[in-house]
Amino acid sequence: MEVLRAAWLMTRRITVRQQKICRTFATVLSCKQVVHQNIHERYLSRLKLVGITHCRYSSEPQIKNCTALMYRNHGDPSQVVQLETTPLPSVGPQSVLVKMLAAPINPSDINMVQGTYAILPDLPAVGGNEGVGKVVEVGSEVRRLKVGDWVIPKDAGLGTWRTAAVINAEDLIAVPSDIPLLAAATLGVNPCTAFRMLSDFEDLKSGDSVIQNAANSGVGQAVIQITAAKGIHSINVVRDRPDFQQLSDRLKAMGATHVIKEEMLRRPEMKELFKTCARPKLALNGVGGKSATELLRHLQKGGTMVTYGGMAKQPVTVPVSALIFKDVKVQGFWVTQWKKTHSHNEALFRGMLDELCGLIQAGKLSAPACTQVGLSDFQKALDSAMQPYISTKQVFVM
Amino acid sequence: MEKLSLPPLRDHCVRVKMLAAPVNPADLNMIQGTYPILLPLPAVGGNEGVGEVMEVGRGVTGFRPGDWVVPTDAGFGTWRTEAVCGADDLIQVPKDISLLSAATIWVNPCTAYRMLHDFQHLQPGSTVIQNGANSAVGQAVIQIAAALGVKTINIIRDRPKREELVQELRRLGADFVITEEELQREGLDRVFQEVPRPKLGLNCIGGISGGLVLSQLNDGATLVTYGGMAKKPLQVPAKSLIFKNITFQGFWMTQWKRQHRKDVRRLNSMLTVLCELVRSGRLTPPKCVQLPFPQYSQALNATLQSHQRKHVLLM
Repeated sequence: MEVLRAAWLMTRRITVRQQKICRTFATVLSCKQVVHQNIHERYLSRLKLVGITHCRYSSEPQIKNCTALMYRNHGDPSQVVQLETTPLPSVGPQSVLVKMLAAPINPSDINMVQGTYAILPDLPAVGGNEGVGKVVEVGSEVRRLKVGDWVIPKDAGLGTWRTAAVINAEDLIAVPSDIPLLAAATLGVNPCTAFRMLSDFEDLKSGDSVIQNAANSGVGQAVIQITAAKGIHSINVVRDRPDFQQLSDRLKAMGATHVIKEEMLRRPEMKELFKTCARPKLALNGVGGKSATELLRHLQKGGTMVTYGGMAKQPVTVPVSALIFKDVKVQGFWVTQWKKTHSHNEALFRGMLDELCGLIQAGKLSAPACTQVGLSDFQKALDSAMQPYISTKQVFVM
Repeated sequence: MEKLSLPPLRDHCVRVKMLAAPVNPADLNMIQGTYPILLPLPAVGGNEGVGEVMEVGRGVTGFRPGDWVVPTDAGFGTWRTEAVCGADDLIQVPKDISLLSAATIWVNPCTAYRMLHDFQHLQPGSTVIQNGANSAVGQAVIQIAAALGVKTINIIRDRPKREELVQELRRLGADFVITEEELQREGLDRVFQEVPRPKLGLNCIGGISGGLVLSQLNDGATLVTYGGMAKKPLQVPAKSLIFKNITFQGFWMTQWKRQHRKDVRRLNSMLTVLCELVRSGRLTPPKCVQLPFPQYSQALNATLQSHQRKHVLLM
């Protein structure tokens, strides 16, 4: 008992010393409760493992295990993904314990499970590359994060479809906790992709135009909102569908300048459209095939088409004349690669997140329509995510 | 072939006697009406060639009778015996290079030069891969790259006298010559044990051939398209854009010249480098069929066929 009391006192002293952990001060009291709950098991073993110097600040009942959606082979997600309980390692000096709050299912997550993605984790792996969690415990040498912080992964491959994880603090970046949960959960991949494509390829000014297909995708909706915030016109191409009008209204309410069906791109009426806004300098392609070729056709001379996805699973058909005489550039973008290339310069990533969160806080950027599901409903969620014409993003909420 | 009267020589004009003018594929496209530059009709054909200055207008200081000149821009109409034009429409070339070199320097070698300089930073030991390697541009690429210490992988179509062509290209400085069929069958693994994967691909065919060039590029490379002989578009897999980060651009010499029309220093410096390579024997014109001007039909018909040498009309 004496040892344990000493441990508790130690915790408290250290807490008071580290002023920044004002939130944690309150939580030390709950820590106290925890100590009293299960003294022998928890604190004794903890002290043995980590030594007195290694006190941690915890705001939650000790998390020893997590449940996660794991796969041991690549293949059809409905076959290979299983819900499993897995023990958590202890929190090392440079790590944090994160309680996952929400994590979406993106097409690239599906591709990773299927084994068709460009980067594949070692197996067995936890699915999911994006999401937001809350820091509930920090290692003794961690300065960049504190308990209570909301964090998102800096890189792909973390495995976010889980209830909790112990992660190196350097692999996480904090985001404001006063933005909507779903916005935080879907911030790191699609809005960042949209942001970079709108910044890194063409110098866009207010009054310029951008054309894109897959306009109601996660990236598409982010593009609509970011361009609207900057006074840039967006011409948004979607596939025809029974509720097209509803979709068009929804995208326009978000700030889309024009919403048109794929078929419209081949019609002479496009001339009328270009009387109301400039021909686009930038085209964003998430589909491929004929859709991409049509975007190219409407690009201004000297413009750029950026490809970030290939939902139609068809190559992009690029007429030679477009390259030679129209001087268009055809490039690709992969946000994961961008993050890796700029991993030494966190300020860049930070600056982008700050700008995006600013838009979120100003109500100018919101998460796409989401369907929230529990981890235990993963079968249904994965199946839905793989359906065509799916109009909401599946998000696991833990 | 028709007789035309020449306009009088104004102060800023020059009268030029044409010496030699090649027939290039783009010249035929212009006649066919499929080229983005279309001249008001009736028009004189031919966009490239060398002439000799016969007479200069009073205000002309840059040229003297006897100078060799080439038209700076497309649309000149070089398939003629004489022309009167503005002095600004011409650029001087040295007379100590062969007539054939001078007649064929301003389109294809310039295209090769620009593509090797403007898209990727190539150093000695870098690799470039190209299709249509035995075209005029292709041969210029081989030679200019060799002078820069840049390695070339050259794709050609299979043909009856293939080995002869392979030797010819090797003599020009080609590091590797491979047919499309061989490339599809074997790939380039053995080549990449000797040289790095190419950062730059040059494509004048399009279609499947363009895809072959693309498939061998290193991550982050650029594929520059300057022609489309197969009249088929490029099929670009999303993976090559997203994961391999390949950039696809086009190059049009005429466009470049128009954009840099006023940058006389830059035009001249490119010409100087190329002429120096010609003088030192490192850049030779493609093997040409020289025809007297009246045999123009033969030249035009040949250019419409495949596997033909470049035809040059002598005035």
